Amino acid sequence: MKAVILDGIILGLGFGLLGVGMTLVYGLGGVLNLAYGEFAVLAAIVVAQAISGGMPTVLAAVLGILAAATAGVLLDLSLMRPVYRQSTGHRVLLGLMLTLGLAFVIEGVLTWRDPLGGLTISIGGKPISILGVPIAVGSVWAALITLAVGVVLLVFFAATTFGRGVRSVIQDELGARLVGISPSLVRTVIFGLSGALAGLVAVTQSMTSPLTVSGGFNLTVYALIVSVVGGLGSVAGAFLAGILLGIVDDVSARYIGSYISDIVLLGAAALTILVRPRGLFGS
Amino acid sequence: MTGGRLPARLGNLVPVARGRAFLPILAAGVLVLVVPQVWFADSEYTTSLAVQALAFAGYAVGFNLIFGTTNQLFLCVGALAGIGAYGTGILSNHASLPIWVGIVAGTIVAAAVGGLMSWVAVRRSLGVIFTGVLTLAFSFAFQDLLFGQQHLTGGSTGQTLTAAAASLADNQIGGYYLFGAVVIGFLIIFRLLQISHFGWAFRALRDDELAAELAGVNVARYRICAAVIGSAMIGLTGGLYAYSEGFISPPTFAFDQVDVTVLVLVAFGGLGTLLGPLIAAVVFAFVDNALVNSGQLRELIYGAIIVVIFLGFRRGVPQTLGAIVRRFIPHDKVGTRWRLPLSVRQRERS
Repeated sequence: MKAVILDGIILGLGFGLLGVGMTLVYGLGGVLNLAYGEFAVLAAIVVAQAISGGMPTVLAAVLGILAAATAGVLLDLSLMRPVYRQSTGHRVLLGLMLTLGLAFVIEGVLTWRDPLGGLTISIGGKPISILGVPIAVGSVWAALITLAVGVVLLVFFAATTFGRGVRSVIQDELGARLVGISPSLVRTVIFGLSGALAGLVAVTQSMTSPLTVSGGFNLTVYALIVSVVGGLGSVAGAFLAGILLGIVDDVSARYIGSYISDIVLLGAAALTILVRPRGLFGS
Repeated sequence: MTGGRLPARLGNLVPVARGRAFLPILAAGVLVLVVPQVWFADSEYTTSLAVQALAFAGYAVGFNLIFGTTNQLFLCVGALAGIGAYGTGILSNHASLPIWVGIVAGTIVAAAVGGLMSWVAVRRSLGVIFTGVLTLAFSFAFQDLLFGQQHLTGGSTGQTLTAAAASLADNQIGGYYLFGAVVIGFLIIFRLLQISHFGWAFRALRDDELAAELAGVNVARYRICAAVIGSAMIGLTGGLYAYSEGFISPPTFAFDQVDVTVLVLVAFGGLGTLLGPLIAAVVFAFVDNALVNSGQLRELIYGAIIVVIFLGFRRGVPQTLGAIVRRFIPHDKVGTRWRLPLSVRQRERS
């Protein structure tokens, strides 16, 4: 049981990191980025190409994360401009459709150039024992990186001026503007951060299981579910939701059966939405 | 307005010529009837494409009724269609019931599921996105169920409907007319709702839900009604699709196959419009066919088309084109087509 829960937490940290990038962008003006998972895949392919080109793994990972961050910034500077000019009600649909189109374009380009591409980062070594449970080295690294980034994000949003500025825009765009914060600058930075997080997810995911070109859509859906369960716009909520769903997924996979576990996971997400319609940390 | 009938005073605002409200449907019906005769009745391939387009038009009209008029983002069109289709398949294959029993039962179950989800969403006052994610979760769970319950659904290998009439599975043009009639029927229902008290309630609650509620519109009831009727349309189309194809498998009703396409169709045709979904289904049938030979580039081009369409034509392509035409032709020459009272139109434009 201990092993299952620990596994679930590690899986859930990944879910959480995935959800954060989605939830931040949504918080800033109500757009869900359906191309989010494709950013991760883009990063994965860049990393894979760089590694096969002879680059050291760490450098390649940084390059991949930068590529995804650039994609995020470019998305904000191009397609998102007309979206944010719309009133809030129309933003949702236009944002959904444009990012959906972008998702098709990115996936199309990647499957065209590199149809069998994928990323696996294997970290050798004997499994490390945590609380008496042996865990693969790759998983430990992935979890540690995710935890570290999660802490940095929380500190960033709680204690730095820019982080507080971001939260003020999430709370009240007009109010933020009145005290001298530029929502459009904040958005550009957050889109970049969101892309970087997607890239980071690609890297940490590939330490435990391969990430392929066709996997982008599933990543988007999981990010969507995690961010909604956690409460849109809340970083801590996304991590908490991710860990909860990770444990639910692992426990049900172990004790009920693997195909049911997906249904249980989705059911748990639906139930959370119904019990707390604004998510765990929603306001 | 909860009591059902439209107050007389509001009734006067509805244009006198109610009959004209059905002219577009009549025109569409005639086109659906005539086009195969002069064009593709002899080509099995083209006919099957047309059947596909009409089936998607059916899904899109149902989705348009749910999302376009009452703002409930149901991302489970594929699952609802799958309920109709698998209901038909399972009842006719495993319970040896006549196929129409399966279709009716599948439609009823789809309507009930859609109504239930709408009831839950209304009860918990879920917003657009939350309703979307809830139904999305249902969509994926349904797919897992189809793969998992192999003894009933045939799992990933799919299921052949042994009772499907050979006459329809082999006779594509029969399937075409069946779907044509169904889509036209859906459009008539859609229009009937629009010109009844439903239409006013839909318009009110889409503009401003709170204001509508305060004005006495029973928002919850109208939402659930729209969801039930729309889901029934989707379920029926799914059941008929299973019947006419004679074979169903989970990917036919997968989220990325059905829901994404339907969302694009409805947004392309213009949310809440009558003929939008049908026009969009026809246009995208051509686009799809044109992209058949582009192989790996297909997805890329498809995505680019979506982006361009939504950047250029935010209110739906037919509407934008219509607005351009109207700018060049003086207003009174366009004719007195069925339209909303001037005051309402001006408000909507602003």
